[in-house]
Amino acid sequence: MALLVALGVALVAAAIVAAAVGQLPIAPSEVLGSVLHRVGGWVGLDIGSVPSHPRGEAALWNVRSPRVLLAALVGAALGGAGAVLQAVFGNPLAEPSVIGVSGGAAVGACSVIVFGWSFLGSYTVPAIAFATALGTTLVIYAMARHGGRTEVVTLVLMGIAVNAVTAAVIAYLVFLGDSQAREQIVFWQLGSFNGSRWEAVRVVAPVVAVGLAGVMAITRQLDLLALGERSARHLGVNVERLRLTSIVIVSLLVASGVAFVGIIAFIGLIVPHLVRMVVGPSHRTLVPASVLGGALLVVIADVVARTAVDYADLPIGMLTALVGGPFFFWMLHRTRTAAGGWG
Amino acid sequence: MVCRGPRHAVAQDWVEPVTDPSTPVLPTTVTDFTGESVTVTDAERILALDTYGTLATTVYALGLGDRLVGRDISTGVPTLQDLPVVTHNGHELNAEAILELDPSVILTDYSIGPLEVQLQLKEAGIPVVIMDDQRNRAVIGDQIRAVAEVLGVPTAGETLAASVAEDISRAESEVTAMAEAAADPRMVFLYLRGNAGVYHWFGKGSGADDLIAALGGVDVAGESGLEGSRPLNAEGLVRSEPDLYLMMSDGLGSVGGADGLLEIPGVADTAAGVDGCVVDMDDAQILSFGPQFPVTLRALGDAVYGPDGVLGAGSESDGTEPS
Repeated sequence: MALLVALGVALVAAAIVAAAVGQLPIAPSEVLGSVLHRVGGWVGLDIGSVPSHPRGEAALWNVRSPRVLLAALVGAALGGAGAVLQAVFGNPLAEPSVIGVSGGAAVGACSVIVFGWSFLGSYTVPAIAFATALGTTLVIYAMARHGGRTEVVTLVLMGIAVNAVTAAVIAYLVFLGDSQAREQIVFWQLGSFNGSRWEAVRVVAPVVAVGLAGVMAITRQLDLLALGERSARHLGVNVERLRLTSIVIVSLLVASGVAFVGIIAFIGLIVPHLVRMVVGPSHRTLVPASVLGGALLVVIADVVARTAVDYADLPIGMLTALVGGPFFFWMLHRTRTAAGGWG
Repeated sequence: MVCRGPRHAVAQDWVEPVTDPSTPVLPTTVTDFTGESVTVTDAERILALDTYGTLATTVYALGLGDRLVGRDISTGVPTLQDLPVVTHNGHELNAEAILELDPSVILTDYSIGPLEVQLQLKEAGIPVVIMDDQRNRAVIGDQIRAVAEVLGVPTAGETLAASVAEDISRAESEVTAMAEAAADPRMVFLYLRGNAGVYHWFGKGSGADDLIAALGGVDVAGESGLEGSRPLNAEGLVRSEPDLYLMMSDGLGSVGGADGLLEIPGVADTAAGVDGCVVDMDDAQILSFGPQFPVTLRALGDAVYGPDGVLGAGSESDGTEPS
């Protein structure tokens, strides 16, 4: 519980700092002043103040706020999705981008860009991304499990196979697209929050909220599942239904993130693992802590991505993979040492 | 065809701003390229951003260059070089960098992006006017008039459009006269960024097709049915039999100059490659069209057909040597 409170406080603090730093300088006090001014405006009070830069207010509310919020939402989704995925596969190495769920979502999103579909309005990209993510996850699940568990080697090899296929499909879509679609895909493939708009927040927020509510509802059952399939069944858990529910939720969470910001790798691996080291494997704490931790990590990573180089945005997917890749390697090594082999 | 090795086309000078610049009469309300109605009330702080640098050059030529507060990477006008650059990774816009400059109006088009950033700027309350992103001779006049209309200087727009049109036809006849000796050289525009692994050739509708037509050449990429910008295909390039490669200077530099260029598959195995027939020109100019186009065309015409040009007659001894 203490961890949840600490993560929550850290997230709020990080969000305020994130709103304050950027290429257009706005002091943290000005951020608070502007928030007060807005809130005061709603209830008819004239408190707070607007930032001193003539475009400060616009930058804060139209560019930076949606960006910070979207980063928090996507981070929360990826952190939560990672924790649930690891519970379902019974394997701490399961991660949306490693096993190919993110790639599956990417295929859907790229198709929408290339073919210019818009039948569901701004929900088209997330909806199609969800459909392809769900299909991919079901395939991975059906093929990687054997005798009620998933071996590390099988899972990693499945990930290689699935990622190879999705990369090939995306390459074909890039080939089909005109130069504008091509640039859009390349930009989006690297993973970036540059260009986050309120519209994206409005689409992603309810989807993530539903997904996270679903995640919280099944944490107790996930704890029972961790005792082993048999024991869980004896304790009244409908294991198959739980697995399918989890897969749908994971696909929803991953797709909502991937749809707007591209593939941001390894968040779902690093965060749950660090949380587990602090509070142990109980999902009732692990899942909400991973959600908050994911949000915190992505908000911070995005600040680095957009402030490290003047007038430029580094691709955030590159940053997380740079840190997450070695981390994944270290975990593989640990698993091998602990298990005495690659079993 | 006799070819005399790589040539670098240098524009003699930049387009002159109109002689009696008028003060913008505002507000103006225009229907932009997307069909949206945009009202501009203040043209004190202008940003004009596109992939080609055409819009900023047009603003400059309309006599409003001192009102520009930033630029894209492709803006080549010498007096605008000290303005802060708001694009990165090539041609990607950054909303915060733009907002920091506090522009009162932004002219841009879909040649640059991401679109989300352009929408963000609009949502931030800045009038964002999306212009036509075609680049060829036929639309230069209309595009000049459109920029002038947005900024409330329609008279300067008419003056500039008329003088540019006149200058283009003069430059065209000069180039046509020079080109007579050469028999319709077959040309292709190569867009290379060696450091980023980008090897493209430009076909129909890319602007390069019209540039080649203006130079009196045959656009071999367009002839092969290529549209827009496509990845270079070695066999396709060889089959299309180009006599001359047109390139951007930085593009040529990025592959290691004319020698490095020959190492790209297919490039060496054409007449253009065998003879080292390459003409390059500043990235910001070669495809920008706009008011700068007459100068660009003359410089390229000179580099291709001039006395010292790549296909030129040259001094007597050169011209009579069989190749």
